[in-house]
Amino acid sequence: MARRNRQIAYTIILIVLLFTPLGLSWYKLFLLDYSFADLIPAVGYRVDLSMQIDGHGSDITLATYLPKTDYRQVVSEEENAAPGFTFSLENQHLNRRATWQAENVTGHRTLRYSYTIRAKHVQYRLPEILPLPSSYPENLSRYLREEEGIQVNDPLIDATLARILGNDRSNMTQILRAIHRYLQDEFANKKFSGFTDALTALKLKEGSCNGKSRLFIALLRRLGIPSRLVGGLILTPGSKRTSHQWIEAYINDQWVPFDTINDHFAELPAHYITLYYGDLSLFRHTTNINFQYQFKILKKLLPKREILAQLDRADYNILDMYGIFEKIGISHNLLKIILMIPFGALVVVFFRNVVGVETFGTFLPALIAAASRETGLLWGLVGFVLVIVTVALLRRLLDWLQLLHSPKMAILLTVVVLIMLSITAISVSYGNIDLAHMTLFPIAILAITAERFAIVATEQGTCKALTITATTAVVIAACYTVMDSLFLQSAVLAFPEILLVLIGLNLWFGKWIGIRLVELIRFRHLIFKDMRP
Amino acid sequence: MRTNIAQVLAINQRNLRYVYTYNPRRHFPVADDKSLTKALLARHGISVPETYAVYQWFYQLARLPGDLDGIDEFVIKPAGGRGGGGIQVVTRLDSGRFQSGGEILGWGELRQHLADILFGVYSSGYTDRAIIEERLHPHHRLKKLSPFGLPDIRILLWREQPALAMLRIPTRRSRGKANLHQGAIGVGIGLAHGITTHAIAGTQRIVDHPDTGERLIPFTIPCWQETVSLAVAAARQVHLKYLGVDISITDTGPRILELNARPGLQIQLANQTGLRSILAQLEAESPADDEL
Repeated sequence: MARRNRQIAYTIILIVLLFTPLGLSWYKLFLLDYSFADLIPAVGYRVDLSMQIDGHGSDITLATYLPKTDYRQVVSEEENAAPGFTFSLENQHLNRRATWQAENVTGHRTLRYSYTIRAKHVQYRLPEILPLPSSYPENLSRYLREEEGIQVNDPLIDATLARILGNDRSNMTQILRAIHRYLQDEFANKKFSGFTDALTALKLKEGSCNGKSRLFIALLRRLGIPSRLVGGLILTPGSKRTSHQWIEAYINDQWVPFDTINDHFAELPAHYITLYYGDLSLFRHTTNINFQYQFKILKKLLPKREILAQLDRADYNILDMYGIFEKIGISHNLLKIILMIPFGALVVVFFRNVVGVETFGTFLPALIAAASRETGLLWGLVGFVLVIVTVALLRRLLDWLQLLHSPKMAILLTVVVLIMLSITAISVSYGNIDLAHMTLFPIAILAITAERFAIVATEQGTCKALTITATTAVVIAACYTVMDSLFLQSAVLAFPEILLVLIGLNLWFGKWIGIRLVELIRFRHLIFKDMRP
Repeated sequence: MRTNIAQVLAINQRNLRYVYTYNPRRHFPVADDKSLTKALLARHGISVPETYAVYQWFYQLARLPGDLDGIDEFVIKPAGGRGGGGIQVVTRLDSGRFQSGGEILGWGELRQHLADILFGVYSSGYTDRAIIEERLHPHHRLKKLSPFGLPDIRILLWREQPALAMLRIPTRRSRGKANLHQGAIGVGIGLAHGITTHAIAGTQRIVDHPDTGERLIPFTIPCWQETVSLAVAAARQVHLKYLGVDISITDTGPRILELNARPGLQIQLANQTGLRSILAQLEAESPADDEL
């Protein structure tokens, strides 16, 4: 009788847990008009600019242009790491200029500036027939002038226009198409990072990005179409030492981009970012300092900030978590970690009860994965393994010294902390910031890990303890992957009722009596016995 | 393949259907703590190794020499130890020197080991008792099979009925321990007549002892009926009805070493039979009540 009650209760609880969240989510999606697509994180990039110089005792100044947030790109999480240099940021009319200064610089120095950036793909559709305007507002006149390197008034420019366009110069769209195609198709792309003016590009019929851009502008300005150079960066994951240049033409009261290197007509892809407008150099620096620069680009998934802000204000955010946590000063970041731990726990349950691996501590893998948020998975695992190895080696020494158990554990923990501090110091001096974050590993986790390993090693042998270390590492990686999922994080922030579903899933696992994967292998001879001929 | 999986009892099912149902948690201590086990069984006249001393507090270790006066061989065991961890078999060389596992030990080393046990090194960090008890010698017929350590018999009982049995033989690799997970050999035993049927080392099926070459099957276990009766008698005294009983057979008969509330599943491999059909048959013969 009691068993039947238990079964009924279990079923009811399970149904409530699985369907209530569905109801709530449906309510939010349809009645409150949340857009699911908006919740899915967008592709963004982390850009890390490092500049290296050699000083010889004199004062040094460095300057570059940093991207601005505008209609198609959003810049965030900017970090300046240039010890010893005074940093200043100047917001000019169109551009944002960063300057670093230091006095009496000797020796090799590295300056770093990083930011997160997300850009939209834009595509303009030009009407088939677009007449040329007869005049432009006064403030655009500087985009029609001749400049050094953009020889608008040279006869060669006229001759080229005559050849490309003939006499018909009434349709702007057609003009743009013709010139774009001319430059894209008949000029070989050339990787040249020096200064190429319009005429040189024309005469050599080969074009680096800056040469072709200047020529394009020369041709357009000659026709009376305002146009300007744009300097930027093509974000491909990896390292690069070149920036990029393209142009914008003023059409129908808008600045429309054109790239004749990668054939983007009235279009700018999502992996192009703008650094500055105008015929300017990306970097300016004191001479003779052996200046070198490198961009390191990492693709990232970023939550759409506008949605986070919208959720902040939403009335039916079930727990009104943001308000609560904001009041006590807990950041979104920490909130996300807290919300993701149940997912980590579910991953552990899956690995223990379905796959059948052993781990140190029931939920230690989920906690270590959470702690690895600052360091990244790789260094988190390194930290974990480091603790293990330290304990394994030290344990033998301590056992030989014959000490009582608790003080022995305390010594192990203290040594582990010392090693972590040393690693931080060493890695900072080598410029590896990621590894240095390992000191953020919560001490509680280190303590638990150290003790568990020591006990298993004593009880069941070092071999077994190392095996469990390996399987724990696998589970840590799995937890991290799930907990790091931008999609899940965004989803649970918008629909915290998902956690009820997790409870429901755990309820289900709680009754699952299927054979574990590891057992399938262990008992394979018995299970598949009758299948052999 | 479906019918084949039905033979093997896997851990999820063992836990949910058998251990949780038939072994109430509050009764675990009588199996987990060997000092409690021995006290209970001895009270009911069930043979266990003689206990020389039990230590619970650190200060009690001072009386160690007195407790061991006149005793020339003994075994130190953590009361709450699992898997044979922390077990030390000791022989006395003279009044202050002992030998264990090829090493010479003094009072200091003995006390160190006992202290470790008390502090919970062998019981997952929880404080524990340390037991010093009689050293058992295996039956002379079993000695040949197991020169590396004390072999034992594991009998699995469900609701006081024997379901499966196996002989566990230490090897060089298991360093004298009769624990299958540490490298000991498991030999399945037919319940009716006590004759060995199959043997495994790890997941490999074997016929001879890998270190000595001694043939393992078929072999008749001495004092078999007495051993099974002893196991049943022990099962009757505890409230754990899905029980593993570990017995050592000596020249003077079987002795119960320990009880196990979470008996492992390797016994199925040693017998080359899955437990599910066996348990189902036992169920059919005497159906269980709906509730406990």
